[in-house]
Amino acid sequence: MAILVDRDTRVLVQGITGKSGILQTKSLIDYGTAVVAGVTPGKAGTAVEGVPVFNSVADAVREVSPNAAISFVPPLFAKDAAMEAMEAGIKLLVLTMEGIPKHDVLDILSYASGRGVRVLGPGTAGVISPGKCKLGAHPARMFREGKVGVVSKSGALSYEVGKTLTDAGIGQSTVVALGGGPIWGTTQRDIVKLFNEDPETEIIVLLGEIGGGTEIAAAEYIAESVRKPVVSLIVGRAAPEGKSLGHAGAIIRGNKGTAASKMEALEKAGACLATSPAQVVELIRKLG
Amino acid sequence: MKLYEFQGKALFREAGIPVPRGAVVTASDRSGLFAPSAVKAQVLSGGRGKAGGVLLVSTQAEAEKAAGSILSMELKGEPVRALLVEEKMNIRAEYYLAVTFDGEAGTPLFMASASGGMDIESVAEHSPEKILKLPVDPLWGLTDYKLRAMADFLGYENKKEFASFARKVWTLFREKNAVLVEINPLVVTDSGLVALDSKIEIDDDARPRLKDLFEKNLAEQAALTGVEGEADHGTITYVPLEGNVGLISDGAGTGMLTLDLIRDLGGEAADFCEMGGLTSPEVMYSAMDQVFSDKKDIKSLLVVLIGGFNRMDEMAEGITAYLREHKVSIPLVVRLCGTMEEEGKAIMKEAGLPVYDDLRTAVADAVRFAAGGN
Repeated sequence: MAILVDRDTRVLVQGITGKSGILQTKSLIDYGTAVVAGVTPGKAGTAVEGVPVFNSVADAVREVSPNAAISFVPPLFAKDAAMEAMEAGIKLLVLTMEGIPKHDVLDILSYASGRGVRVLGPGTAGVISPGKCKLGAHPARMFREGKVGVVSKSGALSYEVGKTLTDAGIGQSTVVALGGGPIWGTTQRDIVKLFNEDPETEIIVLLGEIGGGTEIAAAEYIAESVRKPVVSLIVGRAAPEGKSLGHAGAIIRGNKGTAASKMEALEKAGACLATSPAQVVELIRKLG
Repeated sequence: MKLYEFQGKALFREAGIPVPRGAVVTASDRSGLFAPSAVKAQVLSGGRGKAGGVLLVSTQAEAEKAAGSILSMELKGEPVRALLVEEKMNIRAEYYLAVTFDGEAGTPLFMASASGGMDIESVAEHSPEKILKLPVDPLWGLTDYKLRAMADFLGYENKKEFASFARKVWTLFREKNAVLVEINPLVVTDSGLVALDSKIEIDDDARPRLKDLFEKNLAEQAALTGVEGEADHGTITYVPLEGNVGLISDGAGTGMLTLDLIRDLGGEAADFCEMGGLTSPEVMYSAMDQVFSDKKDIKSLLVVLIGGFNRMDEMAEGITAYLREHKVSIPLVVRLCGTMEEEGKAIMKEAGLPVYDDLRTAVADAVRFAAGGN
């Protein structure tokens, strides 16, 4: 077990014939992910890295039964592609693109919640269950199989912490990136819940940042329902007020969304707080 | 794109949402001034009323005086360059009505309150129960029962009129790809509901499909301020700070982490410059250009790269290209790992540039160099 993606994940790549699509498909296959189909309208019958390309998701589903999709479709067409995948029965959607119009994202999420589809992103680096399946941009060598579940808004921060854990010999069950906001299909709370229910995950690492309240919502859930140890690192302690730091959602307004307020909520909920990736390792070692 | 009140009201009028009769007045063209009226500063920031940017006048002479005084104001650092002069309303009640989105729940959100007016922020903070928050499913639209719930909450008798008003606001929100449509106050007058103010923000990501709307409103704004709309910086986020350690990262999360580590290790960052997780050699080059041209007194430059979608060979190409064309005399600390790491390191090595693997070591060295160490 792991969460979201596992050995039985069969991946469909939307926008497989674009520059990112081709490059990432190769990286997924190199990792051992079962990439069973690609979709680009009008390109049926061709192949990318040996993966058959279909005109529509429905065709791909009929022929090769994918059960998860990763999308590299340009922002203005992302909504159509997502709707198509969901209508064809795909239950896990990874939206890598940034810059999808917000009303399109809201439409996608509305449709997803009605159909029980899990959406990661938009603007996400995706997810990796080390040794089993990679459905995203995570650099393979920074991750190894193990018992620590990691969730992060930022993709890069999830690599940084994954690398530090892996260098220290600590493996991961699944590492999930959620995207920088300001709209999220999946939040830290959702992923903490999945890790809490996953028998293979023994320790949960929650990586957060300034802005918004998703870390606070996760802290509330941790206080109520989580008995597994939680280690948390919140970045942006040194951030100035009133400026978005790279993620649209990463902004402090007055005393709202500060690292301090999140750290306090998480500590109250029983999480151990780290201030650097190295300290995440130290805390995990202490927890045994 | 944030709109001035007068621009938002033009959209309201187009959508059939009642607004007061009014005219735009500038320093060079005061012909629209009339009295009795409300003379209102046109600025993009909030809190205008509290700062004295709105004056009620009874005579033409008072209107002239108010116009002169408001046109010489600065509100939150923004010079007032235009006024909206509007007929006075006979106000029976002031409501608050807005539609935006809740990013964490991933849904549009209507907000309504019978306690409208200038102090809605303090209502939100001290009596949140006075604000009704209704998530609206974008695919279902604004349903009748939600419209009734809002009218009931506000205590507004004419439910049919309210429903028609709120539906127009919703349609505008959707069709114009707004991220915020706020009416504060929405006033009850003898003749019904009137939008007395307008605060609208349009989603910049929707610009390619709303070209005319963007062009028209940005041109109006440029004509007032004399400044062309913000240049497109691509994926780069640049925030100047106070310290002397220059910082560039290829991820927001690692950028923020590095900002923290710099401070923890006794330094201060000179900037936050984040390139986005899917970039190119050209973006790497422009990021360095941005930092070096804005921060001429930095004592070291720390470049933190961890490639997922980003390719390290491309980042190394960007860095070496910049160094070939510019003389850089301060220490450069580059941490580079991830996708195409070997290729990237080879390019750096050929250019005689050291590469770090561990973030903490890189930060420590950048801070030490900035403090004058070797």
